[in-house]
Order: sequence, then structure tokens, then C-alpha cells
Amino acid sequence: MRKYLVLASIVLGVSALAYATTYLGALGPIGSDTRQLAKLFLMHTYNPEFPELTAMSPEAVTSIVWDFRGVDTLYETVVFYMAIVAALAIYRGVGYSAIRGAGLSVIVRVVTRILIPMNIAIAVSIAAHGYLAPGGGFQAGAALAVISVLLAVVFSASSFGKLGISLARAVILWTAGLLAIAAVVFAPVAFSAVTGVRAFLMQNYVKLDSPFAFAIHIYGQQVSGTPTWFNLAEFLAVSFGFFVIFMLLSLREDVVREQLGESRGH
Amino acid sequence: MRRYIPVAFLVFVVYMAFSGSVSPYGIAIGVLLAIGVSLVTSRYLIKDESKALSFRRFAHLAWYALYYLTVEEFRAHRKVIGIILSRNMPVKPAIVRVPYRARSEYTIVASANSITNTPGTVVVDIDTKRSLYYVHWIYAVGLDPETTYENVLKSFESRLSKVFE
Repeated sequence: MRKYLVLASIVLGVSALAYATTYLGALGPIGSDTRQLAKLFLMHTYNPEFPELTAMSPEAVTSIVWDFRGVDTLYETVVFYMAIVAALAIYRGVGYSAIRGAGLSVIVRVVTRILIPMNIAIAVSIAAHGYLAPGGGFQAGAALAVISVLLAVVFSASSFGKLGISLARAVILWTAGLLAIAAVVFAPVAFSAVTGVRAFLMQNYVKLDSPFAFAIHIYGQQVSGTPTWFNLAEFLAVSFGFFVIFMLLSLREDVVREQLGESRGH
Repeated sequence: MRRYIPVAFLVFVVYMAFSGSVSPYGIAIGVLLAIGVSLVTSRYLIKDESKALSFRRFAHLAWYALYYLTVEEFRAHRKVIGIILSRNMPVKPAIVRVPYRARSEYTIVASANSITNTPGTVVVDIDTKRSLYYVHWIYAVGLDPETTYENVLKSFESRLSKVFE
């Protein structure tokens, strides 16, 4: 009976959505003309004709994320940073000592070994081409962080130690990513302090009242100013932030409890 | 040195294919990435350097891919389609032990995946101590090790051994 209810609800739900979008115009006018909002973003995303009003980065979503609403993204990164700090605080005093496990079968281990270099290639591609194609630092970081889960589940959590990946090193790389983000944020102000040219925090390209701009082309190659640097820095911060979390979560509960109890005198 | 080249090549090709951008910027990052990743990961992927750049082995691999995707897949699909279209559904399912002779992990895994990816047979478990696959076989013509080896594994393992052993 429950099976038929689920089936009926799926059929009804899909039919209602299909009817609403096809006959009732639930998605608004589609295909007749580009919407005003889309035109606005497209005009400001990459437009050398209006240098004061453009992000000069061809990928609209990246321009929105790291330029138009860049401060919002920065604060999201800070929230993520604080969440990991909180996790590290909870685990304070716990040494990373994973118990050696057998991992999964040789079939899964060998296939995973081949997939990991390919995973790194794809993650770097998502980060490095985020200014030009869908993707960006956060997506790339999440893609790379999958490796930490694969290592813990497929090869056992003790594989981190064998590969030289310690919690301290992951924290260092994660922090390096955050410092790189901060460097890009403060670079215009530092430039202003040295040269006297007016510039603002997180500024990407020229403004009506500021001639400061990050390099958009290097030797004729499009690199797109701050979005590229933010993407690469965010990639480092997010991937190793997740590494820290997944490494902590891969610890056995009884080991963690024992160490927390001892170190806090309970 | 030879062990780094196949991994660097793999990483570079995956990177270029995924990014879809053949620009100096893309190529520069791809080359740096390929060098970096191969330096870190090659030792886990390639144990015997002498096999890494053998043209003969690559030729056998290419031939195996062609043979598998055409002959073996066609043969297996024909059998399963025959079972599906038959009125009396002539299945004789069993989980059988299939002994393997390979020593290289790549041969063992490629053989297991070849078995699983052909319709009608699925590797459900592996016992590396006793060198056995446990295979679910939709029409088990026999249960003894010789029969299962001949019917389920031999054509894959004998060809893959020329690539990896």
C-alpha cells in the first residue's frame, strides 16, 4: 500500500509541475526574450566598453560571487572558517591516531588509486578555469576533499599517516588558503598605501573614483583579476578545511572519548 | 623516471579534456599539475618501472579494449537477450568460485571489472588469500573450478596478463 502511495505521489507531483510549467506559465516568459536581470548581469560581467561598471571576468556566476557580491562570499568563507575552528576546538587535545584497518577489497582500492590523480586534475581544472567556465574555488575544494573520504573509507583512516597527511599539515594548508584570500582582499589597500592611488578593499577593476585594477590579461592571456586569485585561494582553503573535518570524523568515537576524558581530567 | 610519464600523461589528458580550453594559461597549468601529481602519486600506481612505457603492453591493452567492447560484450549481450526474450526464462543462477592465476593487482582488478561489466556475470566478492573470485552467474553451466575458469574468466585473464603481468 505504501509503495502505491509513493508511486502515486511521484506521478501526481511530476504531472502537476509539468502542467504548471507547460500550460500555466509558472516559470514566466521563456524563450521570447532575454530577461532584464540577465541582460543587466551580462552587460556588467565582461564589458570593456564600460570599464567602470564591469567585473571583466567572462563567467557571470563567478563575477557575481567574487565581485558584485564579493563581500558576501567573503563572509561565507569566514562562516566556514569559524565552523572548522569550532570543530577543532571540540577535538582539542585529541591526537590523530587512527587504528589500522584493512580497507575495502583490492578491486575498490586499485580503482580508487587510479581515480585519485584524475580527481586532482578535475578539481584543479574547476578552480583554475572558474573565471571562464562553471565552477570555482568552493566547488573545486569540495571535489578535492572527496579524496580524504576515499582515503579513510577505501584504504582506512591510517592511510593519512602513511601518505604524510597529518592534521597539522592540513590545518597549515587550510590557513594558507585563508591568508591568500586575505592577501587578495587587502592588496588594493596596500597598493594605495604605497602609491597614493585611491583603491578599496576587494577591488577588482577600475571604478569611477579609482583607477586601480588587477591584471585582466597577462601576455595577452585572459586571467580575469581577483576572481581567479580568489578561486585558487578558496580552492586551497575549502579543500583542506574539509580535509580537517573528514580527518576528525574518521577517528573512532571510543578513541576520541578516551583522549578527551584524559586530557580534560574527567 | 619512466614511472612518472604514464601518470603525468593521464593527468594532463584528463585536465585538458575536462577544462576544454587549449590556451597558454590552460596548458601551463596542465603541465605543472601533471608534473606535480605524477611526482606525488606515481609510486602508488606503478610498482614495476620496466612495464610503464612498454609499447608492446600498450598495444595489447588497446587490442584488449577493442576485443572486449566488441566481441565479448556482443557475446554476453546476445546470451542475456536470449534469456530475456525466451518464454520459459532459462536461467540457472548460482554464485560460483572462479580461481584466478594472475599476480598483478591490475590484472586481477581489470579481469574482475570485465566480468562485472559483461551482462550475466557479476563479481560479488574476492578472496585474495585463496585467489578466488565469487561470481554471480546467471546461467551456471557448472560449479567446478575448471568449468567456471574456462567459461567466466579465461578469455579476459589470458589477454590482460599480456598487458600487466
